[in-house]
Amino acid sequence: MPKYLCLQRSLPGRDSNVDKPSPAQMQGMYEKFNAWREKFQNNLVDLGGRLGASRLALPDPVPDGPFVEVKELVGGYMVVSASDLNEAVEVARQCPGLMRPGSGVEVIEIRSPG
Amino acid sequence: MTSAFGAHFFRHEFGRLVALLTRRVGVQHLELVEDAVQAALLSAVESWTAAEVPENPSAWLYRVAHNHFVGELRQRARRAELNEEQAPIRPASDEPPATFLAGEVEDSLLRMLFICCDESIPIESQLVLALKTLCGFDVAEIAQRLFTSEGNVYKRLGRARNRLRETHFLANELTTELLASRLPAVQAIVYTLFTEGHLSSHAEDAIRRELCDEARRLTSILAVHPVAATPETFALLALMHLHSARMSARRDGSGGLLLLEEQDRSLFDQHELARGLSWLARSATGAAFSRFHAEAGIAAEHCLAPSFAETRWQRIVECYELLDRLAPSPIHTLNRALAVAECRGPSAGLAVLDGLEPPSWLSGSYLWSAVLADLHRRCGNTELASRYRDSAVQLAPSPMIAASLWRRLSAGVGS
Repeated sequence: MPKYLCLQRSLPGRDSNVDKPSPAQMQGMYEKFNAWREKFQNNLVDLGGRLGASRLALPDPVPDGPFVEVKELVGGYMVVSASDLNEAVEVARQCPGLMRPGSGVEVIEIRSPG
Repeated sequence: MTSAFGAHFFRHEFGRLVALLTRRVGVQHLELVEDAVQAALLSAVESWTAAEVPENPSAWLYRVAHNHFVGELRQRARRAELNEEQAPIRPASDEPPATFLAGEVEDSLLRMLFICCDESIPIESQLVLALKTLCGFDVAEIAQRLFTSEGNVYKRLGRARNRLRETHFLANELTTELLASRLPAVQAIVYTLFTEGHLSSHAEDAIRRELCDEARRLTSILAVHPVAATPETFALLALMHLHSARMSARRDGSGGLLLLEEQDRSLFDQHELARGLSWLARSATGAAFSRFHAEAGIAAEHCLAPSFAETRWQRIVECYELLDRLAPSPIHTLNRALAVAECRGPSAGLAVLDGLEPPSWLSGSYLWSAVLADLHRRCGNTELASRYRDSAVQLAPSPMIAASLWRRLSAGVGS
């Protein structure tokens, strides 16, 4: 099955500051995430993780500068396998941790040679 | 993998961690401790779902919370240095302990509860503080459970916090004498918590019941701790178990309220009943007879009676008399009147209320009108009965209660 790279992106112009969840809400998040993981266990290749600071590496040495800080745009990544793009989008859409007010997921096909 | 944790793991872990960490670093850091614990739980949601749950989740959480706390304190110290302010006090140790001594968790929870019951904090603020720190409810959840606004909860919490900030003592400085002197206040707070949950005059029954569960949990901690394991505490715990035993029988299939005589006694929770009776037996030691003993005695009589008619009403009357003497309140007199009516007839019941001038909180409540309506109805005073019934129905706090009152109080009275 083809693989897809999912990138969590904050949506421009939308406040991504969600309230601090309460312990009871965190328990709900935890349980929902586990249910999702179980449901799509055959699709989940790499659960990935959060992304931190980044630096752009270029062929020519450049001085430090205000490069695009990826962490502001991409919060996390994961790799899923699916029969097509639609199915991959559905896996990502149902992930409780990814879909939040102010953030969305970009799903990109990983081309394999052949 | 499905959740291997109990239904309230995160909430209860919050309470445990706050208590443990506060004991270590001092109550003046309570807010910082709560933030650190919140952050630790959030890390757990992320890393336990992506990787595996650690072998000892509580120890993992404690380590992460402790590191958060120390990190935040360092940052504050650095900022304070830059602003040439006085640096905040550092915690005694930067190293989290690898393990906890047996009983240390319970001990810390107990101490936290006693800290919440500082007599200089108003009781409604004590309650909110306990719900926040020990039970892990957030402001919105507390407001929902106590039927008040979030603003009000913030205000109460603020009052409690201001007071605690002034108390610059470490949690381990609570002496045994201080603990013993605060025990009645602690018992009062868990009792209030239980009562809040038990008053099922509202539709949101399930979430109210959580308050009862929390009250029982905290009282169970009291009951096994040397400082707090007194006959009064045992009676209090007995009372909670005995009331819980009858809880599910109080509702009909559609969530409406059932009267005591309509309840299906086979639905009483036998496990809760047995635990209640065993704590009641343990409470019968020493010379003390507290209001909790009287209330547990009444609850036990109701649980053990094979039917409404076979209830030992005389025994219940005696318990209410004792209760009224130990903790005088017109609400106890009102209840006694009902019990007297059962064993000596409705006019004897009315006689108990003769000359009682109800305070406005009672005369303005549906309970007062409902009891008078019922007793007058049974005495055949139809006109008075229908007047009190109408006022009771009008004052009922929920449609469920109004329906239940109408059903009960209309028999033989006519609309």
